[in-house]
Amino acid sequence: MTDDDVRLHILRELIASGTAPCVADTGAALDVPESDAAAAYDRLAANRVIVLEPGTHDVLMAAPLSAVPTSHIARMADGRSHYGNCVWDALGVIAMLGQDGGVETVCTDCDAPLTLTVRRGALAPTDAVVHFAVPAARWWENIVFT
Amino acid sequence: MLLFRSEEHVNRWCEQRGLDRGAVFTPEQLWTVAKPWHGRRLDRGWKRFTPAEAEAVFAGAGLTDTFWHL
Repeated sequence: MTDDDVRLHILRELIASGTAPCVADTGAALDVPESDAAAAYDRLAANRVIVLEPGTHDVLMAAPLSAVPTSHIARMADGRSHYGNCVWDALGVIAMLGQDGGVETVCTDCDAPLTLTVRRGALAPTDAVVHFAVPAARWWENIVFT
Repeated sequence: MLLFRSEEHVNRWCEQRGLDRGAVFTPEQLWTVAKPWHGRRLDRGWKRFTPAEAEAVFAGAGLTDTFWHL
C-alpha cells in the first residue's frame, strides 16, 4: 500500500458514496492494518493532500471534494452531485470528472443563487466575480477559512 | 475564496466586515486555474504542484501580481 493508494481510495469513495472512508474501512479495502491506514492519513494530511478534523482521522477535505456538506455543489451531467470545499474546488470537481456540469452556490453578500456552467470544457459567460481575501502564500495558515 | 454577484457586492461585504479587499477576478480565470489544479487528481501518482508550478498556473490565468506569489 502506498499513500497514493490511500489518497485515491478516499477520493473514489467520496465520489461513489459522498462519504469519506474511515481508516478501518480503508485498511480493510487495501488489505493493510488499520494502524497503517491511519499513518497514511497522517502523512497525507501533513503533506496537505487531505485535511482532517483536528485530533481525529475523520476526513474533512480531499481536494477538490468536501467530505461534509457545503454551499458549493458540483452538479454533474450524469445527474450526480458532489460537494466542493469552495467554488474553485467545485469547478475542480467538474474538471476532475471530465463531464459537463454546473456549480450551484450563492452570493456571499446577499445569498442570491449563483450558477457557473461548464459545457464542453468552457465556462459559460457570467457576471459573477471571485474574491480571494487571503494572499496565496498564506492560504494554509487556515485552509478552511481560505 | 468566495463568489459574489458583482464587484459592488464584494465591496459592500468587505466594508461591512472591516476587511481589506483582496484579489478580485473572473470565474473564467478561476476555471482556467481549476482545470490544471484539479483535473488530474484521479491519476495515479498525482503530486501537488511545487510553488513554481503553482505560480505558473496562476500566471496562465493572468494572475501575476504579488498576491499570487508563493
